[in-house]
Amino acid sequence: MKQRAFFVLVCVLSLFLLFSGPLSAKEIKTLSQFPMSGPVGSLPEFGWGFIDGMNWVNNEGGGVNGKKIKWFLEDFRYDPTVEVATFNKYCAEHTPDEFLMATGYITGGLKPLIDKVNKEEKIPWLDGSYSTEIFGDDGGPSKYPYYYSLGATYGAQLKILLKWIKENDKGKGNPKVALVYSPTAWGRDGIPEAKAYAKKKGIDIVAEIEYPYSATSATSECMEIRKAKAQYVIYHGYSGASGCTAIFFKTAKQVLKDVQLTGTHYTTGRMPILVCQDAYDGYVGVATRPFVDAVPRAKTPMDNPMVKMAHEFAKKNRSSEYQKGIQEKDAIKDMFLYMEGLTYALMLQKVLTDADKAGDLSREGVKKALDKMVWDFNGMFGGKKFSYKSHTIPMLQIFKAKVNMVDVEGKKVPTGAVVPITDWINVDEVKW
Amino acid sequence: MVDFTQALGAGTLVGLVYALLGLSIVIIYRASEAFNFAIGEFLVIGSFLFYIFFFDLRIPLLVALPLGLLAAGLVGALVERFAIKPLLGRSPLSMTIITLGLGFFLRGCVQLIFGSHSYSFFLELPDITQEFGDLLFLSDPIWAGILSLSTFGLILFLLFRTRWGLAIRATSENQAKAMAFGIDARFILLIVWAISSACIAVAGIMISNFGALSSMSSIVGLRAIPVVLIGGMDSIVGALVGGIIVGVCESLAGAYIEPMGLVGFKEVAPYLLLLIVLLIRPYGLFGQIRIERV
Repeated sequence: MKQRAFFVLVCVLSLFLLFSGPLSAKEIKTLSQFPMSGPVGSLPEFGWGFIDGMNWVNNEGGGVNGKKIKWFLEDFRYDPTVEVATFNKYCAEHTPDEFLMATGYITGGLKPLIDKVNKEEKIPWLDGSYSTEIFGDDGGPSKYPYYYSLGATYGAQLKILLKWIKENDKGKGNPKVALVYSPTAWGRDGIPEAKAYAKKKGIDIVAEIEYPYSATSATSECMEIRKAKAQYVIYHGYSGASGCTAIFFKTAKQVLKDVQLTGTHYTTGRMPILVCQDAYDGYVGVATRPFVDAVPRAKTPMDNPMVKMAHEFAKKNRSSEYQKGIQEKDAIKDMFLYMEGLTYALMLQKVLTDADKAGDLSREGVKKALDKMVWDFNGMFGGKKFSYKSHTIPMLQIFKAKVNMVDVEGKKVPTGAVVPITDWINVDEVKW
Repeated sequence: MVDFTQALGAGTLVGLVYALLGLSIVIIYRASEAFNFAIGEFLVIGSFLFYIFFFDLRIPLLVALPLGLLAAGLVGALVERFAIKPLLGRSPLSMTIITLGLGFFLRGCVQLIFGSHSYSFFLELPDITQEFGDLLFLSDPIWAGILSLSTFGLILFLLFRTRWGLAIRATSENQAKAMAFGIDARFILLIVWAISSACIAVAGIMISNFGALSSMSSIVGLRAIPVVLIGGMDSIVGALVGGIIVGVCESLAGAYIEPMGLVGFKEVAPYLLLLIVLLIRPYGLFGQIRIERV
C-alpha cells in the first residue's frame, strides 16, 4: 500500500514538474506580414530588415527586458486576402494572452479586418498604410482604437506640399496646382482633404488628372497641365519605380519645362533616380522617413543615426545582397525597404518593453504603451520626438532631388540623392 | 483645333505601335486561327532580350536591335515548337487556351530571372521633337511611330514580295492545300511565330523607351485585343487601321472627355468603341465575313 502511494505521488510530482514550467512561462508572440514577393513587386528587403532587426532585438538588443519575442514573419505577396487569412489563422492558433501584436502593410488588408481587430480581437496592429480614410480626421483613434500607422497620412502629406507651395511661391496671384493621381484607392486617398485645404489657403487646383498605371503615354496629360497653366504638379499614388512614373517624368521634362514637379512619399526616394534619371532632377517630394540610399550607395549621408544603423546592419548581416548591383537578383535595391523592416522590429521591442515595464504585458497593456509613447525612434527624425496620440507617426520632411548624369565606360548613368529642404515637421503640431 | 490636332497626332503615333501589336496577332491568327493571349509576356521577353544586348553588353544600337529581335524570334520559334506544334491538327481553340497558360508560365519565368522591379530604359535616339506653336510632338513617340511603321512595311514586303511570304500566305489560306504543293506548313507556322515575336519585341522596345521596362509592362499587350477586334482578326490592313483608331480614341478621350470629369475614361474608351464596332460589324471593320455551314 505504501509503495503504491509512493508511486502515485512520484507520478503526480513528475507531471507537475513537467507542465508547470511551460504553463508559467508565457510567451510573447507577434505576427508581421510584408509584401516580399509576388507579381506586383518583389520586395524581400522588407523581410530581411525585419529578420535582422528581430534577431538583434532578441540577442544583443536584450529582448523585452530579457525575455525573447517569439516572432512570426509571413509574406502576403501584396495580396490583402492573404494578409487577412494569415491573421485569422494566427488568431485561431495562438491565445490572446500570448499573441500580443500584429503588423501589416497595406490599406487593402486593414479594411476587411476593421471589426476583427478593433472589436473582436482587440489586438494592437501596426501598419505601413498611410490611409487618410483610416488614420485621418474621419477615422483615427476614436473609430479604430487598435490601428496604428507608421507614417503620416497621404492627406497630411498633400497638405504639407500645398503649404510649402503657398509659402514658397514667388508668382503673382494664387499658385496654380495640377493634381495627378492614380485611379486607385491609394491615388484617391487624401485628394478631397487636399482640395479643401487648397481652397482654404488660396491655391487654385487648375487640373485634376487620373493617370493610369497601364499608361503608354503621358503626352495628353502633360498637355492638359500645360493648357491649364499649372505652375506645380502634385504626383500622388504611384511607386517611384513604376514604368508609368518614368513615362510621366520623361514627358513632363520636355512638355512642362517651367513647372515644379512635386509628390508624396513613394515617389520620393532612390528608385525614381534610377528609373527616371535626369528627368527626376529638381523634383520636390515629401517623405515620412529620412533619405537612406543615395546613388551610388557609398555617397549616402550617414549623419542620421537610424540610417547609419540600417546600413551597418545590412553590411553585417547581408553583405552579399548589400554589395550587389541594382539589376542583380537578390540585391538590396533600395535601403529604404530594408530600414522599414528594421523599424518594425525596433518598434515592436520598444512598445513591448514599455508595456512590460508598466507591468501589463497584455494586448491592452501594449495599446496603453503605444498611446503613451513619446519617442525619437533612435534619432530618426533629427532628434525630434513624436507621440502616438493620432495613432500615426506624424513626422514629415520635404526633400529636393539632385540628379547628375555621369559618364561611366561610355554610358551615361545617374548619380544623386534627395536632399532635405526643410526640418522635420510634426503634422500633429501644424496650424493648418 | 490645336488640341484636336495635338490629340490626333499623339494618338496616331502611339496607335502605330498598337498596330504592330495587332499585326503580330493577325499573322498568327491567319496561319493557325489561334489568338495569342501571351502577347504581353512576349512583349516583355523581347524587350528584356534587347535590354541585355544594348544596356548590359553595351552593344551599339544598330547591332543590338537586330540581335534582340533575332533572339525574340528564337523565343517565339521555341514556344511554337514546344507548346503549339504538339497541338497541330486539333481545334484552334486548344492553341488559344494554351497561350493563356503560356502567358502565366512566361510571366513567372520573367519574374524569376529579371525580378519585378523596373529597369531604366533610355535609348537616347537623336532628338526629333517637333514643335509648331502650341503643337508639340515629342521625340520618343515620333521614333516609335517611325520604327513601327518601318517594321510594318518590312513585314508587308516579306509577306507580299518574297517566296517565304507566298508560302506563309498559302499556308494561311489552306494548310492542306499548301502541304499538297510541297510547302512545309509546320515549318511555316514556326516562322510565323518567330516573326510575330520579333514584331511584338519592336513594339515592346518602343513602349519601354517611353518610360521603363518591368514585368508589369506586359499589361500593354492587352491593347492588341481592341485593335484586332476593331480592325478584323484576319486583316493586316485592319490591324493598321485598328491600331490607329485605338491610339486616337485613347488620346481624344484623354483630351476631351476626361477633363469633363469622367476621369479614367481614356482606359475604357477603346473598349466602348469596340462594342459599337462589333454591334455594327461583328467581324471588325476589315474582317472577312465567314459563312459556315451548320
